[in-house]
Amino acid sequence: MIVCVAVVGHQNNPLYIQSFTEADDALKLHHIVHCSLDVVDERVNNPKKSGPMLNETFLGLLYPIENYKVYGYLTNTKVKFILVTTDLDVKDADVRNFFRRFHAAYVDAVSNPFHVPGKKITSRTFAERVSTIVKSFGFSSAG
Amino acid sequence: MVREVSESCVDSLLTEMVACYCNRFYANKPELAARRIEAIGYQVGHQLSERYTMERPRFTDHLEAIKFICKDFWSELFKKQIDNLKTNHRGTFVLQDNKFRWLARMSVDPSIDNASSVEDNSAPTPENKAAQAMSMHLYFPCGIIRGALSNLGIPCAVSADISNLPACSFVVRIKA
Repeated sequence: MIVCVAVVGHQNNPLYIQSFTEADDALKLHHIVHCSLDVVDERVNNPKKSGPMLNETFLGLLYPIENYKVYGYLTNTKVKFILVTTDLDVKDADVRNFFRRFHAAYVDAVSNPFHVPGKKITSRTFAERVSTIVKSFGFSSAG
Repeated sequence: MVREVSESCVDSLLTEMVACYCNRFYANKPELAARRIEAIGYQVGHQLSERYTMERPRFTDHLEAIKFICKDFWSELFKKQIDNLKTNHRGTFVLQDNKFRWLARMSVDPSIDNASSVEDNSAPTPENKAAQAMSMHLYFPCGIIRGALSNLGIPCAVSADISNLPACSFVVRIKA
């Protein structure tokens, strides 16, 4: 189950962050996302370790923490997508697929002429679309 | 889902936008009109670059990003690639389009020698006026290129040169 997703701008400014848990742990999840930004920076600035997936947008598993796994994705425009999940055996293909659809939703949201670049995404349509994508995570490996 | 838009509509819209800013909103302030038009282009380029770079790996250097603009980005906008790319390897790139679509239907007396660069705004002779009106139409594509590159993390200045129509060169100067 995905517990949190986030979009972070190129200056590490939060553009969208949403947790999907009943429990009151938003702060903890935000902290996890915050920590993951350093890992993203490290991955991007030391490309020798990442080997063949050099410059791919999908960054893979950033780090495991407690019961969570954190995945990252970095676009050409230096926007970071972060995914926090509680699933322990996650298929890479699922995560890639999730990020692809998430990215598409993001692009549509920022192409809105009323959206101000660099500001938080407040579009309700975007929020709904993201929660649909989150709910279908893991079931749509064929799609 | 592929959504399409008629090309003649886009042509008319661009012409009308330029006319509106130059003759109505900022009739006596061409510099201001130019800045506004460029800003619109910037936003368009900014958003398009986000969309068109979606399915590709990140660029490692400036040249790769410029090549993306010349090939894929230009193909998406104009259904053709940039015809010639020159660089001095110190941050200046010249992108030449031998038949720039948005100028293809404009006519200017070909005998004019300095039907020239965007910065040209000397004495208002009829020839000069034509060139100036033409150059107003180039702020929008300049803005698009600047917006796209800025969004890819490359701050730059873009100007256009139309000394031999219908060819058009865009000069990109990357800010160090």
